[in-house]
Amino acid sequence: MAIVLFISVFLIAACGLIYELIAGTLASYLLGDSVLQFSTIIGTYLFAMGVGSWLSKFLVRGLVARFINIEIMVGVVGGFSSSILFLGFAYGQGFRPLLYGVVMIVGVLVGLEIPLLMRILKERFEFSDLVANVLTFDYLGALGASLLFPLLLVPKLGLVRSAIVFGLLNVGVALWSTWFFREQLGHPWRLRITGSIAFLCLCAGLIFADEISNAADNSLYADDVILSRQTRYQRIVLTRWKDDIRLFLSSHLQFSSRDEYRYHEALVHPALASLPGVRNVLILGGGDGLAAREVLRYDTVQSITLVDLDPEMTTLFKTHPMLKTLNGNSLNSPRLKVHNADAFPWLEQSRDVYDAVIIDFPDPTNFSLGKLYTTAFYRLLKKHVAEHGLVVVQSTSPLFARQSYWCIVETMRLAGWRISPYHAYVPSFGEWGFVLAGQQPYEPPLTVPVGLKFLTSANIRGLFEFPRDMQAVAVEPNRLNDQVLVRYYEAEWRNISR
Amino acid sequence: MTRRQLAPALLGLTVKGEGQIQGGFVYENHNEGHKIRDRAIYRPPAGTRRAKVIIIGGGMAGLCAGWWLRKQGFTDFLILEGEEEIGGNARSGHNDICAYPWASHYVPVPNPESALVRELFTEFGLMDAQGALDERWLCHSPQERLFLHGRWQWGLDPEAGTTKADRDQRHTFEARMEEFADTGQFQLPMALGKPPDRALDQLSMRDWLVQQKLTSPYLAWQVDYGCRDDYGSSSAETSAWAGIHYHAARQHSAKGPFTWPEGNGWIARRLAEQLKAHIVTTVWTRAIERIGTRWHLRTTGFNVEADAIIYAAPSFVLPYLMKGLPKPNFEYSPWLTANLVIEQPIETAWDNVIYDSPSLGYVNATHQTLASRVNRAVWTYYLPLTGPALNQRRRLQSQDWNFWKEAILTDLERAHPGLRKVVSRIDIFRQGHAMRRPRPGFLTESEAWRKATERPNFRIANSDVSGLPIFEEAQYRGVEAARFTLAALGIIKKVDRP
Repeated sequence: MAIVLFISVFLIAACGLIYELIAGTLASYLLGDSVLQFSTIIGTYLFAMGVGSWLSKFLVRGLVARFINIEIMVGVVGGFSSSILFLGFAYGQGFRPLLYGVVMIVGVLVGLEIPLLMRILKERFEFSDLVANVLTFDYLGALGASLLFPLLLVPKLGLVRSAIVFGLLNVGVALWSTWFFREQLGHPWRLRITGSIAFLCLCAGLIFADEISNAADNSLYADDVILSRQTRYQRIVLTRWKDDIRLFLSSHLQFSSRDEYRYHEALVHPALASLPGVRNVLILGGGDGLAAREVLRYDTVQSITLVDLDPEMTTLFKTHPMLKTLNGNSLNSPRLKVHNADAFPWLEQSRDVYDAVIIDFPDPTNFSLGKLYTTAFYRLLKKHVAEHGLVVVQSTSPLFARQSYWCIVETMRLAGWRISPYHAYVPSFGEWGFVLAGQQPYEPPLTVPVGLKFLTSANIRGLFEFPRDMQAVAVEPNRLNDQVLVRYYEAEWRNISR
Repeated sequence: MTRRQLAPALLGLTVKGEGQIQGGFVYENHNEGHKIRDRAIYRPPAGTRRAKVIIIGGGMAGLCAGWWLRKQGFTDFLILEGEEEIGGNARSGHNDICAYPWASHYVPVPNPESALVRELFTEFGLMDAQGALDERWLCHSPQERLFLHGRWQWGLDPEAGTTKADRDQRHTFEARMEEFADTGQFQLPMALGKPPDRALDQLSMRDWLVQQKLTSPYLAWQVDYGCRDDYGSSSAETSAWAGIHYHAARQHSAKGPFTWPEGNGWIARRLAEQLKAHIVTTVWTRAIERIGTRWHLRTTGFNVEADAIIYAAPSFVLPYLMKGLPKPNFEYSPWLTANLVIEQPIETAWDNVIYDSPSLGYVNATHQTLASRVNRAVWTYYLPLTGPALNQRRRLQSQDWNFWKEAILTDLERAHPGLRKVVSRIDIFRQGHAMRRPRPGFLTESEAWRKATERPNFRIANSDVSGLPIFEEAQYRGVEAARFTLAALGIIKKVDRP
């Protein structure tokens, strides 16, 4: 019988170490800086175990029942620890308190286990044997767990399932203890029922592990997800909270319906309102049709060519009733034609010349997208813009990514454009930057179309004023063979998004 | 990949089933070459063609000889190529994804001294009259990465695991190379340099490193990699003079090199377009004889009479065609190149090197696209078979496609686990005599061979008479032979060098 007891000690110890490793691994994956995460997690966990051990002296009566209850609690909290942490991280608020909270709870409970068990067993064994055996199996369990974790559990089961499997072991020890210590228990059945419920909950967790991770994914978005679609090119997610619709492409926020008018009015009108008689407009990117909605305000515009990579994106914004309301059904306008193509090669094969080109590409987060912000691209663009025409480029934030913004300006300048940088405040994005470019000197327009919500003929001039903290900095231009922009962008946004 | 995206990925990866990998060997008619070696009987040709100048061999040297002749207004010449395609080591293929190279695939940005390369590249619009480079065909970012100790790093200077001593030795090595560059003996082409240091040519590159007490294993790897990359020989098989040339002859300031999806096939195709009227393919020269004051050629297609011959085919074949010639004391490296079709978007650099691999890694032929989104790609895999050339040549020819397919996948799967699941096709090009090895003493061997082949109105033009198997040498040798020929025919004044 003794050996079975010590195997329990072995299992308890293994479980305890596994929860610690899971917390450490999760923290380093989700927060980065694994040295920091692992040492603070281990420290907190050991400290919590110390607290547990100290607390154990206040437990004096009904030790066996308490031990079993603690086992069940460890099983449930530890077993669901990785699920809780994944889901908690997905919500994005207060992840660290949650992380250390879970580590403290599991640590305190695990710290209670061994002292209690030793006090329960002190009647059955010689004290010196007891200490020696319990600690031996305790450390053996730790060894087993530490080998099992990286070699088998993480690669085969993943973090959510591993935690649950060990939670089941804890609850299993609890259930077995109700039988082994049955003489010392007043109401073994109560404990057995509690244990069984915990056991079933964990089994359910095991079965629904995939759903848990999906739920974590879904709840990355704070609001209700009304549409989620993986296309060949990106993941399109639409969320809604009251009247606020938000579009995320591969987890990057594209717009919020509450303030997108600020962004799109600022993107389109400084250029178009200063081009009397504008007829042909090219929109690169902008598959949501929101920039097109602004362009369609000009009666002189006869044709809009919209080039967006993803057909599912343009189809969605052509057909979804809520989105059609948002973009004023612009994508179905007879004046607009959609081409689903990669912009750079499309432009290279095209021979058309436009009065205005509106460029609404995703930010230069990688070398592939960075190509769309190079001297080569802006030189090619010159062949497609009329002598008096204008180009406008969405150019990330001059406040959060100052070097990136001015790098785009510098790149366009080097490609031979006359540059007029400007910016606007969009609450869901912050300060946002645009670059307007042409071959002729640019003057802001004296009038703007009627019905705008943000721009007036008076405030449009102010957009071209840069406060001190957004003014030009010395940067290198972005070239196909030396994409400095991607490096600037990565460094700058990394500083902010922690 | 963001950490948030990583979280679900930790929970389990989706695995695609392994499809059948298609493919085979390409250009497998070394039969024709062997027929020349075995002096096999062939049907005596009917009909005779006459030209003032015959260029034998439609590789880069032959094409550049033709290019230069035409620039002088001289048009009475034919280029005879045995294979169905011109280009030699600059041959390329294409599929529904992109074009891809079969051998040479880049040209470094030419130094100011490399007048001929600059002339050709200016003609092709790669640089303008002021020397400004067109970034369209400069290698796009990111250029190079190295798989070292289980992870990819940017750039080819090993970082992970290196000690301060390793880095110091690399800096010492780089400083030594700068000193060598300043001696003026390392130029591209090499004929433009000051007289070479013969003592360096008597030494192997590896022995030179040892002599300099440069013992860092990382440096040894890097230097060996350079030798294999340009010459197909290990550092122990390469003349120290040639090994140093690789590092000391190129200027590092400009971000290069020039490269195209089809590699140097891009240059070959443009040259061939100019020379269309002069090129005859599928014609193997079988005998060259001087009768009176004229050259008589027998080929598998027709007899040829000419005033002068530019021999731009490999030197080792010449003794089988022309009586009374010794064999050149040259060694040639066997090479294997393969083009792999990758059915999944995988982020790569242009040049992807695996540390301590027998191969040079792979080059992403799709890298130079302007598209932001690439769902399928072609990777060109390079494997120089270093070591005793004869044995390696036998090994190359005796193993079947399955063997080499497995060898390639095993090598690449070190850096890309599970790669075979996304490879749909592997085409393999085996070349027994891909390029001459500049082994210790090669400078003397080159001179002896040039002397042995001196004949009236006959000039040998292949890059193997220089000994460095690179584009700049092929072009120089072609132009040099063309210039010699026009001078010999009394059409231009005699000059020392182009």
